[in-house]
Amino acid sequence: MDDFQSGEETTFVVDEVTNIIKEAVEGAIGGSGYQHNKVNQWTSTIVEQCLNQLTKLGKPFKYIVTCVIMQKNGAGLHTASSCFWDNSTDGSCTVRWENKTMFCIVSVFGLAI
Amino acid sequence: MEIAFPYIKKRSEFGRQCNFSDRSAELHVDIPSDDTLMHDFIARDPVDMGIQCVQEMSEHFANTERYETSIHGINHTEGGWPKDVNPNEVEQVTRYRKKVEKDEMYISAVLHLGSIMEHCIKQNNALDIYEEYFEDIDFEEMDEPASAKTLNVFRDPNDIKRTATSISWHPDGSCNLAVAYCNLEFQSTLPGTSMCSYIWDVENPNKPDLTIKPVSPLVCLEYNPKDTHTLLGGCYNGQIILWDTRKGSQAAEITPIEQSHRDPTYKTLWIQSKTGTECFSTSTDGQVLWWDIRKMSEPTEKMYLDKKQEFHNAQGAYCLEYEPTMPTKFMAGTEQGNIISCNRKAKTPFDKIAAIYTGHIGPVYALQRNPQFSKNFLSVGDWCARIWSEDIRESSIMWTQQYSAYLTDGCWSPTRAAVFFITKMDGTLDVWDILFKQNYPTLTLQVCDVPLFSVSAHESGKLVATGADNGTTTLLELSEGLFTVARNEKLIVTNMFDRETRREKILDARHKEIRLKERAKLEGGKDEKHLSLEKQVVSVAGVDVYSEAEKLFFSIVADEKKKRPIPMMNYEEVEKKDLQLQAERQAALLANPALEEPELFEQETAHETFPGVLKENAEEIPPDLPKEEADYKESEPEEAA
Repeated sequence: MDDFQSGEETTFVVDEVTNIIKEAVEGAIGGSGYQHNKVNQWTSTIVEQCLNQLTKLGKPFKYIVTCVIMQKNGAGLHTASSCFWDNSTDGSCTVRWENKTMFCIVSVFGLAI
Repeated sequence: MEIAFPYIKKRSEFGRQCNFSDRSAELHVDIPSDDTLMHDFIARDPVDMGIQCVQEMSEHFANTERYETSIHGINHTEGGWPKDVNPNEVEQVTRYRKKVEKDEMYISAVLHLGSIMEHCIKQNNALDIYEEYFEDIDFEEMDEPASAKTLNVFRDPNDIKRTATSISWHPDGSCNLAVAYCNLEFQSTLPGTSMCSYIWDVENPNKPDLTIKPVSPLVCLEYNPKDTHTLLGGCYNGQIILWDTRKGSQAAEITPIEQSHRDPTYKTLWIQSKTGTECFSTSTDGQVLWWDIRKMSEPTEKMYLDKKQEFHNAQGAYCLEYEPTMPTKFMAGTEQGNIISCNRKAKTPFDKIAAIYTGHIGPVYALQRNPQFSKNFLSVGDWCARIWSEDIRESSIMWTQQYSAYLTDGCWSPTRAAVFFITKMDGTLDVWDILFKQNYPTLTLQVCDVPLFSVSAHESGKLVATGADNGTTTLLELSEGLFTVARNEKLIVTNMFDRETRREKILDARHKEIRLKERAKLEGGKDEKHLSLEKQVVSVAGVDVYSEAEKLFFSIVADEKKKRPIPMMNYEEVEKKDLQLQAERQAALLANPALEEPELFEQETAHETFPGVLKENAEEIPPDLPKEEADYKESEPEEAA
């Protein structure tokens, strides 16, 4: 199986994806403080931007992108995920980003076709 | 039976083998709670919130009908009869009386009512409550100047505007009007032009009451006077379509195209019949077709507008006139300017055309009998409108001035016999009141800047709708003087029409007489000196026939002169004195109003341009006066020709 599908082309490179996510989050939120009425717009921009960049990589992958934005008011947040997939090709990447007023957690799951 | 289908595919074509395994749970985010941060926040209390506690409303507009109220008094003279007794029928009344008088209760009832009635009668005698105080006082007539105001403008709702070619009022006096829209210019209809026509409510110019959807644009549209739900339309492609407003926009009946007209159907009219289902139509292809709406598959009768009933010679017609009191007769106005009077039930096909009236030099666009004098009819064509008498075929009895703009349509006022309306290409509507002025319209109204194409008067005479080139239909309300019947109006108009008819008759007789005399002279002197002359006239085509004819004519005149006791001026003198003579005649007329009809007022100016009045008294004038001579001279160019 690895004979015909291997290398950079078909694996989920976590570093690459992390960069994409960070760029997207910085671009969308940057230094702005938490604003309730902007959160919807931020989340959708981040998700779309990530997906755009991921597809531009041109790899045979299905992607799932999620984004959570939480105001920093002292509440705790705990998330976990579990997958049943092909461990050799598929992968996931979660980025936790924060500024003074909020957390932004973006997860990307990449599934090889 | 067993059906098996082997599906064969190589393993390599299936793609990568699935080799899934579980990935252990992974914690993505783990942010512990932090109480310190909570101190940065304070609870918002109180909170401002807007709450709507009344019912939500929306605003709407409705166009309600406007009702005018008026106060009436009723003079109650007789009544109280049972429903089945008609108080106008003497027999029924007497029978009912006898029946009542036989009744046992009759005497006691009369005795009882007597005392009550006596009281009422005494009261009545004390004071006449029905007394008319101002019976013998005439109120001023024609006080206000004639005017008209625009009530509503109905615009073609489509983007590509079409001409409003025909307007028909709802026959029940209610205020609906059906307007047909069609672009009549040959091959200039743009693709995407709507074919719909509309029925409007006069109160609501924003939205049509009903949209009429034909297969081809409608040139004319006519309400059925007997069944106001049905409408008859003539299409641009020659078909005739029937609508039932109860059934909606789509056509109820349609004539097959191979049986229909070959040119646009310019006019359709309903015929007075028992069933109210008969109608007829005409077109520029020269056919007149009769239809029964119960069987629209073929025309019930067919006629060509030609004396010999030949289709290739038939004259195309633009308009039809039908008078319900003369059910078998009708008239058609043709493209050639002739008005053809026909009899549908003539014995032979050749007798169908009863008379042809020539006079117009352009197509006749409108034709209508006077609603009160069916012998007289109005025709509109080229640059003037003419009023005809049925008896005189040679010439119309009255005509308007020559307009500078082409005329497009015209109709009589339904209430006043002396009033008619004319529409013109310059966008003006003229109202003529021949009682008031004969040489100029009483009222000229600039309705819009584009040509007007159709006009139709409401049966009350008060409202006139006129359709323009760009599809706008303007509803006008006339001032009271233009629709209220004046006293003696009918009599005066009768006199006027009679007088004009008489004048035309005299002129006509005179023409014939002259022609006859000339012929007699020619025949009499054939063997003598005129023989050669006549031969020349007949045979020589190249030389100046006119001068020959003139010579001939003057020789006859000279002979005539010798015979007559009173000396006659010769032609050259007459020509010289022509202007002077006219001036004299006018002066004489002005100075001597006794020559005119005494009951007509404001007619002085009429004499200059309205020839109808000029020779009104020709009968009374002795035949050899100079005035008559002028008549003689007038007819002369025709003789020479």
